[in-house]
Order: sequence, then structure tokens, then C-alpha cells
Amino acid sequence: MSTIDPPPPLEGVRVVDFSWIVAGPQATRILADFGADVIRVEYAGRIDSIRIGLISPDTPPGSMDASGFFNNLNRNKRSITLNINDPRGLAAITRLLTVSDIVIENYSAGVMERKGLSYEAMAAVNPGIIYLSVSGFGHKGRDREHITWGPTAQAVSGLTYMSGLPGQPSAGWGYSYLDHTAGYFAALAALFALWHRAQTGQGQYVDCSQIEAGMVLAGPAILDRTVNGRSYRRKGNPPGNRATYPSVAPHNTYRCRGDDRWIAIAVETEAQWAALVAAMESPCWAAAPEFASNAARLAHQDELDARISAWTAAFDPFDLMLLLQARGVPAGAVQNIADRMERDPQLRQRGFYTEAEHALLGRHRFEGVPFRMSRSEWRVREGAPLLGEHNSDVLCDLLGLSDEDLLELTLEAAAV
Amino acid sequence: MTAYRNGPNIAASPLTTHPSPPLAGLRVIELASGPRSGFCGKLLADMGADVIAVEPPGGSAARRIGPFADDVPDLNRSLRFWYDNTSKRGVTLSLGHAEGRALFARLLDGADVLIEAEPPGELDALGCGYAACAGRLPGLVWAAITPFGQSGPYREFAMTDLTSMAMGGPMASCGYDDLPGAPPIRPTDLHSLHMGGEYAAMGVMIALLERLQSGRGQYLDVSIHEACAGTTEGSFPNWEYFQRLVLRQTGRHAAAAVTPRWQYRCADGRDINMIGGGIPRNPRSWRPLLAWMDEHGLAEDLHEPQYEQIIVENPYHRGPAAAHIAEVIGRFVQALPAEEVYRRGQALHMPWGPVRSPDENLDDPHWRDRSFFVEVEHPDLGRSITYPGLPYRLEGSPGRVASRAPLLGEHTYQVYVQELGLAPAALRELFEQGAI
Repeated sequence: MSTIDPPPPLEGVRVVDFSWIVAGPQATRILADFGADVIRVEYAGRIDSIRIGLISPDTPPGSMDASGFFNNLNRNKRSITLNINDPRGLAAITRLLTVSDIVIENYSAGVMERKGLSYEAMAAVNPGIIYLSVSGFGHKGRDREHITWGPTAQAVSGLTYMSGLPGQPSAGWGYSYLDHTAGYFAALAALFALWHRAQTGQGQYVDCSQIEAGMVLAGPAILDRTVNGRSYRRKGNPPGNRATYPSVAPHNTYRCRGDDRWIAIAVETEAQWAALVAAMESPCWAAAPEFASNAARLAHQDELDARISAWTAAFDPFDLMLLLQARGVPAGAVQNIADRMERDPQLRQRGFYTEAEHALLGRHRFEGVPFRMSRSEWRVREGAPLLGEHNSDVLCDLLGLSDEDLLELTLEAAAV
Repeated sequence: MTAYRNGPNIAASPLTTHPSPPLAGLRVIELASGPRSGFCGKLLADMGADVIAVEPPGGSAARRIGPFADDVPDLNRSLRFWYDNTSKRGVTLSLGHAEGRALFARLLDGADVLIEAEPPGELDALGCGYAACAGRLPGLVWAAITPFGQSGPYREFAMTDLTSMAMGGPMASCGYDDLPGAPPIRPTDLHSLHMGGEYAAMGVMIALLERLQSGRGQYLDVSIHEACAGTTEGSFPNWEYFQRLVLRQTGRHAAAAVTPRWQYRCADGRDINMIGGGIPRNPRSWRPLLAWMDEHGLAEDLHEPQYEQIIVENPYHRGPAAAHIAEVIGRFVQALPAEEVYRRGQALHMPWGPVRSPDENLDDPHWRDRSFFVEVEHPDLGRSITYPGLPYRLEGSPGRVASRAPLLGEHTYQVYVQELGLAPAALRELFEQGAI
């Protein structure tokens, strides 16, 4: 083994990041964690609202740098402030493009084109550029100008409908799952495009739609309609936490001791059922013919779940999880964020949460990347950039502007 | 300086249409014993990699998951297997047989990537894990996808999608605030496997790009638990910076304190989802919205100037007046059909969406304009079937759904005899021994 650390795998890849909120920053976070030089292009006249969301207590009022939410999403990146509505700002962007590999934006369709920042304009400057647009409906098609946030995309795609208790309105997702997922797919698309460019020298335009991403995550439900003529919208759907495919029982969440404490138990085989019965110390009811086979248990699921709930209610969910796992029964405590960050021995041993410094917020924990590589590594080197923190580094050191140019640009941009 | 870095060093090439998808020429072996490896393999196969799904002789457990085509349970009719295995080829072998392991080694000889999802230590115990192969195959990228990764106290836990979504964190944020006693909810489909598969595919691509520089492959240890744990948006900063938990809320973000309702049942029994309770965030939407409400006589008192003032000053305002606006809009949308609320709301630049079931998008012409849904031939059934396409459109090197999932063992002869050069008689012998 060499004693010299290998360079981060994406070192030398430069990303011009016009994205904001969650979906785009999620994509560039992954690239930055593996060493890409991600430069956020920001503009005080249209600030990323995450910069002012979930502002940390005890920070200066009106600060654009005090959001822990922003810190976690934008660590390892640089920030410059440029008014792209100003020709000098646009000229600086053009120079930045000539030394960059990837451009990403997640505005609604048409916004970048109107600013003179279309793919065609950028490819004229740098034919190798990879340009990713991430939006709800995509940049083609009759409804391309529809506006979406994560929950809108989840509703249209079908993912909201697929989450909930039967006979009740949809519960949906309690966060913007499709912002995360669109970010994952956009990062993956950027990697595919880098691979393609390595083979051919060619850059390209990439159009990512969040709603299409949602439909990609619902394939079998869509096939059930196109093959069997059966819509997912039907009585009994969604099935709550019970299992439809494959149909097995018991398969549900059960209340445990404590406030809002639950355990998920999923019995898939007769051996697991026998192990669960043994863990319950073989109560009489479990020997009844109503529970003797999977088919019988499915037919008597309400009673089965009530019986199991009566048993789990006395347990701490973590004790019960260990008890059941020791017998080979799939069981997991429903873990909230405090459980994951302060208690979960698995995440701790694997080092999933990792610490780094932020210039204003100080030392904090960050979510890591869910895989480890044997020769390369991801790193959270530093927290998110302050607004415009790297103006001088990027505009002067990288692009060769003079200090006077920068001062003028800064004053003019600040005046807008 | 490798070719994938620093665009300006690359000679400008004319933008001609490249006929093959971006991963053409890459060979991926996917050890497919159950549903855990499938989605990662599909993401690579639909982009042009030659992915060979290697199943046990009885078929992947994913082939036993319904629904089934025409409701006929059959190893070749699982819609779950169909969907997760498009554009792949399929062979069988048994790693329990020495001959099966020898074949596996030969398959790996020509491969760039291996995807596997076996329990930690299982392949090592059979003598065909990474440690046994890496010396011989220094360029191989090996991705292992497991519920918890290869290390840690939970690595041998028995898990399903439900238990992964519980422990990983998504469920703690999903559920109801207006249904007393409702449990945390697992959104259906196999999302823990989606998250794990997406990260595994990213890791494979990062390793392949790195290999251009170093010439060496490496091992990826992917944890589904960590993929779930890192995909819950606001719960992390709420705890790390405020030491507070989030409350589950119906149809909207879990939050530290209860927020106004977003989702309503419309006159046609379908739901509409309106960010921020439907309060316009663009002041220019306000008067057209009132005019639309007036058409139905449902604007109530919203013409009073105080309400417009709130919208102009701060559309994110939270207080009794804002709550009142949201309630009136809520009553209004309940009087109309959901799709009409959606279309007219969007025409006023409001991010409203109907709560559709996923298949209802087959009827929306926008997706036809984008050619999102694609037709896939199933020659054995004499049918062509509509599938969802890909989540990204790489215009210079598009992916595609090249073919339906392989039938069980469909490419065994092609791969073992025509490509690896086994004699047909040897193939028959392996079959009779149960090695394939």
C-alpha cells in the first residue's frame, strides 16, 4: 500500500452550480463530497431560501450564513456572488465556464434561457460542458412551465397516493423525498455524462424531471395497469404498513412502551412465525387455526395485529427489536432522528455522521455518504460557504480578474 | 490529467449523435438472488451496460413477488422482476457447486463491475468473495449492497423494506397529524432498495471514473440503512441545531410545530396538494385567484384589503389572517374537481398538484410529449407492453429500455457456450448436476 493518500476520485472536476433549495444542492453535494470543485453562483437579489430557513439560534439577525439546513446540504462547496443580469456578471460566468466541466440548475423551464445561459450558449464557449437541468416537469412538453416543489412532484407522480392507511386520505411523504431522489438521479446522470465525455470528448445537455423520477420509483404499480388493466387507485390501497406483494402476515407497525414508540415486524416465512410465537412465549391464541398458516393469518389480520399490539405495548422498542432479531424475526424500531444520531450503535460504528467546521456555526455533525470505498474516500472537509466567501479565490485567482475589477463588480452587484 | 477532468483540455468535437448509450462496452455481472440487487443493475443496464443477471437455478426470489402478468403466478411473470430487470441478460448458476463457482470466476474474468447483495461473509465462506477475486482481477469494481453494510453490530439483522424504512428514519417523518393514534407510515413499493440502489450506482460510476486514472478497481460497501438515514431532509437539521424532533403531518412536511393543512379532498373525491396551504407566494397571483373564486361565489371575505396586504408584504406570513386565507382557499378547492384545481392553479403560477395514482399519468399528454413511457416487446407473450422510461434524458447519449427482463436462464446457452466457449455437452452435464 502506498502511504500517500490517493486523490479524491472527482478531484479536478469543476461544477458551476446555479441550483438552490434541495434537489440541485443534493446532487452537487455528492459530487463535492468526492472531491469535485463545486462553485455555487449566488445572487443577493434571489437568495437560496434554504440560507434563511431553520436559522440557528444565537446568530446575527438577517444573516445569510446561519442555517444548519444549508450547512448540511452545501458543505465542501465554494460560493461566489454574481449578478448574472449584469453584462459584467455574465462575462465572468462565461470565463468560469471555459474552465469547468458541469453546469447544474434547477430553475423552472425558460429561466436560464432568458438570461442568456442556455445550453447552446454555454456549449458555444465550452463544447465539452455537461449541462444539467433539474425541474418538476422537465424542460420539454406542454406543461414544462408548471411550478413544483418536492411535495407537488410527489403528488403528481403517484408517490403521495401510495403512502397511507386504507380508506383514509393519503399520508404522503413527510419531507421532499423527490428532491433527494432527483438529486441522486441528477448526480448519477452527471457521472454517466462524464463517462461518455471520457470516451468521446463530447459534452451534452441533460434534462431531469422530478415527476418522472417518482414514476420510475413506482414501476410495478404502473405495469399492473398496462399489463393487467388494474389501477393502483382502488379499494384497500394503499395498504398502510401491511404487505400486498408478497402478501404475508403479520407485517405491520406495533405500538410499544413510551411516547410515540413503535416497532415494525415483518414475518415472511413459517419459521419466522414460529420464532415470533416462541418469543411471545407461545400464547394460547397463537395456536388457534386462525393463525396456523399465512393464508389464515391474512384472513384474520385485524385480530392478529390486535393480539401482537397487546403484547408489544409493554416493551421498549429497542429491547424488543434485539429480542426478536436474536430469534431471526425481521424487526426494527421506528427510529426518530435522535435515535439515529445519539443511540444507533450501527451508524456510530460506521461513522455515518461526521464532523466539520463552519465559519459562523462552528463545529457540527453532517450526514455522510452511505457507502465506503476501499481505495477512494468521501470527506466532509468543511462546512458550507458563507455567501460570496470565495469571490476573490474564484474571480481573481482562478479567472484572473484584478482586485479593482472585483471591487467594482462587488459594489455594482451589491447596489442592484 | 485524465480525460474526464477539466473540460477545456478536451479537444472540441462536433456534436454528432452518438449511436450507442453511454455505458456501451461495460460488462456488469449482477448476482441476483433476490430483489436487493435489481434496481442498481437496471440503472446501469438501461444506460447501455451489458448486465448479466446471475440467478440461482431456481430463479431469483424477486421472481416470486407479485403482482403477476394476467394474475398467473409464474417465475417469468412477476411484474416486480420485469421492472427491475429491463435491458439485462440472464443466466443461472449455483454457487453451492464447485462447477458453479468456476463458472462464476470465468464470468468475472471479462467483467468491469460485480453487483452483489449477499449477506456479509457469505461469498467469502464459499471462497468466491472479493478477497479471493481481487488479486486476479485488479480492475474489477465490486459493489456489495446490504441492509447495514459489511461491518457493525446490526450487520446480520434480518431485514425487509418495512424494517429498513423503520430503522433508517423515513417512517418517523411519514404519517398523519389528524388521525389520532395513527402509526408512522411506510410509503409502499421498495423504497429502501431504491435508495440503496441509487447510491450503489453512483458509487460504481465514481469507481469507474477513478479507474480511468489509476487503472485499478475497488470494493464498495453500500449500506441501505445509511441510504435511508441520509434521505429525510429536515429532521437532521432540526435535531443537530435545535435538539427537537419533527411531528408527522398529513400530506406535508413533518415539522417541529404543527403547520397549516395543505391537502384537501376535492368534489370528485380526489385530493389536491397545495404547498403552504395554497396561499399564493407570488403576489401577482392574488387578484386572478380571487376572480376565479368569484366565478364560484366562494371568495368569502378575501376581497378585504388586509388580506392582499399580507400577500404583498410576506406570502410566508404565519398568523390568524394567513390561516384564514388558507381556510377559505381550502373550502373553495373542495367545491371543484382536483384536476381542474390543478390546471387553473398552475395557470396562476401556483405549485399545486393533484394526488394521482401513478398509473393515472399514462393519461396525461405531457408525458407523451416527452416520450417518457416506452413500449417494450415481450416476444414470448406476443405483446408489447408500456413501461416507465428513464429519470434522465442525456441528449447526447441517451439511455433506453433495450429489452424486457430475461426469462429464467434465457441467455445461459448464449453466454456459457457462445461467449465462454463451453461445449454444449459440458453445459448439459452442468445442468444435470444442478450447477446451473
